Amino acid sequence: MRTLPTGQFIPGSSLLHKLDARIKIICFIILIAAVIGASSILGYSLVLVTVSSIILLSQLPISYALGSIRKIWLFFLVIFMMNGLFNNSGGTLVAWWIFHISIGGIKQGFSVVINVILIIILGNLLTLTTSPTQVTSALESLIKPLKLIGIPTEDIAMIISVSIQFIPTLMEESETIKMAQITRGARFESKKLSERARSYIPLIIPIFISAFRRADELSLAMEARGYRNAKNRTKKKKKPIEGQDYIALTICASICIVQFILLR
Amino acid sequence: MKKISYVKRSIITAVSIALCVVLPMAFHSIPNAGSIFSPMHIPVLLCGLICGWQFGLLSGLAGPLLSSLITGMPPMAFLPSMMIELAVYGLVCGLMMNIVHTKKVYADLYISLVVSLIVGRVIAGVARALIFSAGSYSIAAWATSYFVTSFPGIVIQLVIIPTIVFALMKARLIPERYPAKA
Repeated sequence: MRTLPTGQFIPGSSLLHKLDARIKIICFIILIAAVIGASSILGYSLVLVTVSSIILLSQLPISYALGSIRKIWLFFLVIFMMNGLFNNSGGTLVAWWIFHISIGGIKQGFSVVINVILIIILGNLLTLTTSPTQVTSALESLIKPLKLIGIPTEDIAMIISVSIQFIPTLMEESETIKMAQITRGARFESKKLSERARSYIPLIIPIFISAFRRADELSLAMEARGYRNAKNRTKKKKKPIEGQDYIALTICASICIVQFILLR
Repeated sequence: MKKISYVKRSIITAVSIALCVVLPMAFHSIPNAGSIFSPMHIPVLLCGLICGWQFGLLSGLAGPLLSSLITGMPPMAFLPSMMIELAVYGLVCGLMMNIVHTKKVYADLYISLVVSLIVGRVIAGVARALIFSAGSYSIAAWATSYFVTSFPGIVIQLVIIPTIVFALMKARLIPERYPAKA
């Protein structure tokens, strides 16, 4: 059965799952601002408590929320060292040649790393509790004001929803082409990295030809049925924003305001 | 040159966005394939070359966003810089194909590709230095990540993309850029 790979989304019935996707995206943006605005121990404690509460509300294991953070530990190390070894702000501890280890640099390094980790966790929580279809529907609603400056938001929404429909089809197609290339001697599972990389080149061109062929057929079918553009399309289901959504938005906005006004 | 209809360009853009999700998954068995081979760049560049700057810009913005939402790669913290980079690729590619008319398809493609790859990398580096990694990004880091590490990807893009365009023209899925006179 062709289904969209929702490796990120985990269905559930928690409070976080039930929130409107539009509100979740707006709250996500507000909380990113709150994370970036943190500049003191009290500020970081506030965002840490907020993120921990959201993880508890999602009723998901903490390992899911931490997701890809473990894979990019090297990036965090590099960022911390770039700040710790080359930043000369406030209280030099050790200085040698171009290296300056200072208290300010170490603080800056920790700050950048913690900010990135928290933003990744918030992003994971958004995608774990919201299906891709809900997110695209929410984005379609949120970008509607851009219509005022001549951006065709309905066409953009149509393009994104068609692309979501194409993903499982193209994944299946790529698996079929991969099998066909294996029978022709391609070695995708070879221990040699260069051989593995070379074997992907004969995979790419057939995938593109197949994808464009499907695009050609779909566009012909749409034009044959009189489709010209997505203006004046209507939705069958319209979910209203409920009380719990407004409460969530108010709480997130309050946290951001407290972060910027009281804790700076 | 025969123009592709608005509907067909929209659907090709949708397919390019879907390929931004599918291609990185197909490359998953190669460690660090994303940073070395840059599989997400190919559909965006193709969309800009074939459909124009508006659609190239959209595929550059929506491709990494959808990939991040569905597969988690790129992580949300790196998403904005990647969206800017790919959006510039799609935009500049499309603009260059409108401006450059050398009467030779290969020349048009290579000029557009090289200019868009350079401009995209410069703007992405500036965005990272000023906004996303302000204070912790150097020219050495920019050169390493955008040219040294991703050198195999640059070579693959410059070889594969014109090949794909020719294959699509031969299969009559896109019109010839300079049709032979009857």
